[in-house]
Amino acid sequence: MGLLRYTLYRLLQAIPVLIGITIITFLLANLAPGDPVRLMLQGQEVDEELIETIEQRYGLDQPLHERYITYMSGLVQGDFGHSIHRNQPVSDLMLSRLGPTLLLVLSAYAFAIATAIPLGIFAATRRNDPADHISRIVALIGVSTPSFWIGIMLILLFAVQLGWLPSSGLVYPWWGPEAYDWIDTWPELLYQTARHLLLPMVALGTLQMATLMRVERTQMIESLQGEYVKLARAYGVPERTILRKHAFQVAQLPIITIIGLNLSTALGGAVLIEYVFNINGMGRLFIEAIQSLDYQLIMGITIVIGTMFVIGVIITDISYAYIDPRVTYGEEE
Amino acid sequence: MSSEPLLRVENLKTQFFTDAGTVRAVDGISFEVHEGEIVGLVGESGAGKSVASMSLLRLVEHPGEIVGGEITYRGETIFGLEEGPDGELREREDMLSNEAVRDRIRGNEIAVIFQDPMESLNPVFTVGGQLREFIELNRDLSGKEARAEAIRMLREVGIPDPEERYEEYPHQFSGGMRQRVLIAMALACEPSLIIADEPTTALDVTVEGQIIDLVDDLQEKYGTSFIWVTHDMGVVAEICDRVNVMYLGEVIEQAPVDELFHDTKHPYTQALLNSMPRPDRTVGELEPIEGVMPEAISPPSGCRFHPRCPDAREVCQRVHPEPKEVARADGYPHNAACVKHDAFDVGYDESPPLEAEPRLTAGTPGGEDGE
Ligand SMILES: Nc1ncnc2c1ncn2[C@@H]1O[C@H](COP(=O)(O)OP(=O)(O)OP(=O)(O)O)[C@@H](O)[C@H]1O
Ligand code: SF4
Ligand SMILES: [Mg+2]
Repeated sequence: MGLLRYTLYRLLQAIPVLIGITIITFLLANLAPGDPVRLMLQGQEVDEELIETIEQRYGLDQPLHERYITYMSGLVQGDFGHSIHRNQPVSDLMLSRLGPTLLLVLSAYAFAIATAIPLGIFAATRRNDPADHISRIVALIGVSTPSFWIGIMLILLFAVQLGWLPSSGLVYPWWGPEAYDWIDTWPELLYQTARHLLLPMVALGTLQMATLMRVERTQMIESLQGEYVKLARAYGVPERTILRKHAFQVAQLPIITIIGLNLSTALGGAVLIEYVFNINGMGRLFIEAIQSLDYQLIMGITIVIGTMFVIGVIITDISYAYIDPRVTYGEEE
Repeated sequence: MSSEPLLRVENLKTQFFTDAGTVRAVDGISFEVHEGEIVGLVGESGAGKSVASMSLLRLVEHPGEIVGGEITYRGETIFGLEEGPDGELREREDMLSNEAVRDRIRGNEIAVIFQDPMESLNPVFTVGGQLREFIELNRDLSGKEARAEAIRMLREVGIPDPEERYEEYPHQFSGGMRQRVLIAMALACEPSLIIADEPTTALDVTVEGQIIDLVDDLQEKYGTSFIWVTHDMGVVAEICDRVNVMYLGEVIEQAPVDELFHDTKHPYTQALLNSMPRPDRTVGELEPIEGVMPEAISPPSGCRFHPRCPDAREVCQRVHPEPKEVARADGYPHNAACVKHDAFDVGYDESPPLEAEPRLTAGTPGGEDGE
C-alpha cells in the first residue's frame, strides 16, 4: 500500500470512531436526569400545553433513535442543532470560538516543541551533570503543577506585579487591525497578539514541554548508545553530525507519538486556561454551557473537541508513517 | 618480517573505571599487523577483544580509557605516552589529535565491521545513503561519483540489483545481506586495515561460510589487511595468517596459524582447540574448557589461567608470565605466556602440581562424563 492510500485508509478508519463519539455524546446528554425544557424554564410555573409545544418544536417527543437520526442528518450538513437557551444555532456559537482555542493550543504546542527538543538533547549530552539534574527538577515541577495554577502565578507576577503583559483576553490577528480602534497597523496587531498570547501559551505549554523534554532526553540517550552511532563514529563522522542527524532522527519517532496523544491533555488544559485568562474560546463556552445545562451546546462542543483529538491522532499516525521507513502500512504481498 | 609493520601495538592497556572498581579489560597486549595480512584475535567472551579493537581507533567508551602503551600506524602515533618533567605520564607531542584521528584514521585508514548487522545500520536512512555518506567523508568523491562508487561496492559484495537496493532501508535486507553492506562500507573507504569484530557470529553457518569466502576473495583483490576478531578457532584456521590468543586482557600466545595449531605452546590455546568441533571428532569427544573466565576486575594472581589450567603448578600462582619467544616459525616469533617453557626458568619442573583446584570445576555442565 502506498503512503497516499494509507493516508486515505486512516481517514476512512476515523469515520466509525467519529460515529461512536456522536452516539456516546448523544446518549449521555439525553439520558441525563432532568427534562431539558423544564430545566430551561427553571421551575417557573407554565402550563403543560406550552411544554408540549416546545417539545414538539424541537422534536423532543420523538423516540430516542429517531432523535439521533435527525441529529445526525443535521450534523453531516454542519448543523449542530439549536441552542434553546441562547436561541442561536450551535454551529454559529462554536464557530467564533474555535479560532481562539486553536490559536492557543497550537501556540502552546509550538512553544513546547521549540523548547523541549533542544533542552532534551542538551540534557542527554550532559547526562548526570548539574545541568541535567536541573532540567530533571524543572521537568518534575512542570509535570506536577496544574496548568491553571501556573497561569494564575504568571498573571500575578507578569501582569499584576510587574505589569509587563496583559492578564486577560486575546487579540485575534484574523480580524485585522480595523477591528480594534486602539490598533492601527498590522505589525502592531501581531505584536499585540503575541503579547496577549504569551502567558496563556506558557501556562498551557509547560506540561507538554516538561513531558516532551524528558522523553527527548531518554530517546536521545538511547539513540546515542546505538550501534549505528558507534559505527558512524568509527567512520570519522563528527560528533555534531552524529547528534544532529544520526542519533536525532531515530530519537524523534516516539516524540511524534507523544505529541499526538498529549493532544487530549492539551485540549483539556485549554478549557481551564481560557477560563483563567478570559479567552473566549471553546473551553469557556463549554464551561458556560455546562453551567446553564445547555445540552445542545454541550453535545456540539464535545463532538468538535473529540473530532479534533481524532484528527490529531491521525495526523500523528500518518506523519509517523512518512518518517519511519519501518512502518508497514497494511498487508504487503 | 623485515619491513615496518602497518600497525604496531605495544603494551596497550585499557581500563574501565567503574563504581565497582577498575576493570583491566586490556592489560598490556602487544602485536603487529603487516601489509596484506589477516591477523586473528581469539578468545572467550569478555577476554577484551572488542575493547582492544576500539582502542586502536581511540574510541573507548566512557568510563573506559587507554592508560598505557603505544599504538603506531604507518609511523604515526595513534596513542603514546611519555614521562613529563614532573614525573607524570602525559600524551606524547607526536600523538595525533582527536581531529586528526577522526579525519585521517577512522574510516580512511582503519575501518571496522561490527558483529551485529541488524543494529549497526541506521534504521531511518537508506542503505545507499549511509554508504555514500561514509564514502564522501573518507574519500575525495562526492555527489554522483560517491553514489556510483556505493553502487559498485554493493555489487562487489554480491548484492543483487544494487541500483534498486541502494534506495532501500536496512529492514528490507536480511542479516547476511546487511553484513555484506557493512563489508561494502569498510571496503568502499579504501582503508589499509579493516577490523572485523566477530562479523559472522550473528549469522547462521551457511551465511557465515559465504561471508568468509567473500572476505577472503576481496582481501586478495584489494590487498587490505585485517584484524579478525572471533572466538571460533575454526574460522581462524580458515582465514587467518597469524593469530593472537587473548585471555583476560592479555595475549597469552601468538604465532603463525599453522604453527599455533600444530605446535601449541599454551595450555589455554590447547583447551580452545580441544573444545573446537572437528570433522574427525564426535560431539562426545569435545572437551569444553572447565570453569568460567574470571572477571577482569579482580584477575587471579600469577598466571591468570591457573585456576582452570590442567598443567598448573604451585609456581603458577605466584609468577605472572609475560609472553616470551619460545619458538620461531616462518620468520615470525612464536610467543607464549606460560612458565612451563624453559625460557621462563622459574622452577616449574620442581614445583608441586596444583591438582585440586582445577578439578573443583569439573562438575561444569557438559563435562566429559556425558555420553
Ligand atoms: N563500558 C564498559 N564498562 C565497564 N566494563 C566494560 C565496558 N566495556 C567492556 N568492559 C569490560 O571489558 C572486558 C572486555 O570486554 P570486551 O567487550 O572487549 O570482550 P570481548 O572479548 O570482545 O567479548 P565478546 O566475545 O563477548 O565480544 C569485559 O570484562 C567487560 O566487562
Ligand atoms: S603458567 Fe602455569 S597455569 Fe599458566 S598456563 Fe602455564 S602451566 Fe598453566
Ligand atoms: Mg566483543
